[in-house]
Amino acid sequence: MHTTLKIYSVAVLLAAWVGLSLVFSEQIIPGPIPVFEAILENLQSGEGLFHLYKTVSRVVLGLIIAMLLGSGLGLIMGLSIKGEKFFESWVMVGLTIPAVVYAIICLLWFGLNDFAAVIAIGITAFPAVAINMWQGVKDIDMQLVAMGKAFQLPTRDLIRKIVLPQTVPYVLAATRYALGISWKIATTVELIGMSSGVGYMLHYWFGLFSMTQVFAWTLTFIFVLLFIEYVLINPFEKRATAWRPVVQV
Amino acid sequence: MFLSTRLKNAPPPGGRSCRSSGETAVANISVQHLVKDFSRADHGALQVIGDLTFDVRDGEFISILGPSGCGKSTFLSILAGLEQPSGGQILINEKPFRQNGNQTRLGFVFQQPRLLNWRSVRRNVILPLERSGLSLEELQTLSSRYLELVRLNGFEEYFPLQLSGGMQARVAIARALAVEPDVLLMDEPFTSLEEINARKMRAELIRIWQQTKKTIVFVTHDISEAVYLSNRLLVVTERPTRVFETLDIDVGYPRNYDDDRLFELSKKVSRIFVKMEERNGN
Repeated sequence: MHTTLKIYSVAVLLAAWVGLSLVFSEQIIPGPIPVFEAILENLQSGEGLFHLYKTVSRVVLGLIIAMLLGSGLGLIMGLSIKGEKFFESWVMVGLTIPAVVYAIICLLWFGLNDFAAVIAIGITAFPAVAINMWQGVKDIDMQLVAMGKAFQLPTRDLIRKIVLPQTVPYVLAATRYALGISWKIATTVELIGMSSGVGYMLHYWFGLFSMTQVFAWTLTFIFVLLFIEYVLINPFEKRATAWRPVVQV
Repeated sequence: MFLSTRLKNAPPPGGRSCRSSGETAVANISVQHLVKDFSRADHGALQVIGDLTFDVRDGEFISILGPSGCGKSTFLSILAGLEQPSGGQILINEKPFRQNGNQTRLGFVFQQPRLLNWRSVRRNVILPLERSGLSLEELQTLSSRYLELVRLNGFEEYFPLQLSGGMQARVAIARALAVEPDVLLMDEPFTSLEEINARKMRAELIRIWQQTKKTIVFVTHDISEAVYLSNRLLVVTERPTRVFETLDIDVGYPRNYDDDRLFELSKKVSRIFVKMEERNGN
């Protein structure tokens, strides 16, 4: 039932797109057929794949930095009240600064290179990771830990079997959130200061006023993100949370 | 009834590889002048347990009965080595109990089931045994035996959240028993259950106790529960916790809730409570 609903929702979206493309000109809303043709063309030429690869690798590296920094800070804030009080305002400030500011600063500091891009992505995404991990650590059920201690579990078992499994939902939420932010900031950085990547391609086709290519590149990236969500994150989440009873209202 | 027939067919316990042959499973507990203070930032120290002294004999079912919010749970935590006493000591077989000391095995049943919701019922039961050096097969047999004892056979692969509260409580009991503890510590394990279920669980606990000959230290605030279950009953005071009165209950098992002797004892304990309250008030 849910799958048919999903199919319907995609079908409605496609139909709306076709309808709008019939009303407006190709410079405003190009139809699905020319857009998909452009996508195939881009991917068949090695250059298109190269730009896609550049962006994905920047996103992945930036994401890793964000997860490492964010988990570290979230852990400190969750475990120590002093840490919480000290870093809370930093994280809030970090969250409020617009992503494009980090992009500009990193490009000015480190030059127009991959390093600057990765750092910008990492810094932009990490406050969101920190907040999720901070909540995750705070929500660890200490009664369960006491249970483990009462049964004389060694410390590494307490962490591996009782503490870490409780943080899985938060790690997943953090990953999702950070992934969403990362790819947005990646395209921004590429648009401002890079000569490769999806952001650069968007900029290039923007200069040529090709709405079809702008749509094509946006869609390509949406597909990549959906692939990551449904092929990597979703199956893992299903396995990790199989114990949860299904909520039905 | 059901349980005893099951147990006769089950392989004898005690075939565990990790207990050396010379060691006996006798557990004599001696609580000596136990004191526990909690320091509070604004009000100075709060004494939760004050000079608690009593002995538990091997194989005894002893209940510690006191008003809610007295130091009963804290006492069990100290006994299990989760908290340090501020004074006095607890000796098990004349030695102080140490966490991971491996001399005495303790099983703990908490007020809430405290199960790991992401693990199946079976894997919850074997959690404390995963480092005991038992093979996967032995763990399977052991968990099956104790899940059968609490009448949860067939539910091994369920997750805790798919079970009712009473069933979760029974998983927690199976987990504590599967450790094959020398002493079973129980902290108001049936308070979250409704009376019908609680009665069933108490009857089962008595049967399990008679089959396994464990020493059980049972903490509760429920007078009739304490009277129904135990050999001996300690009535303890509200903070600081001290032994106010000790009662032996010489009524054979299995007991009946309608037994007049138990009813008289319950009334007697109620009167002790009133006396205790009056003394506290004045």
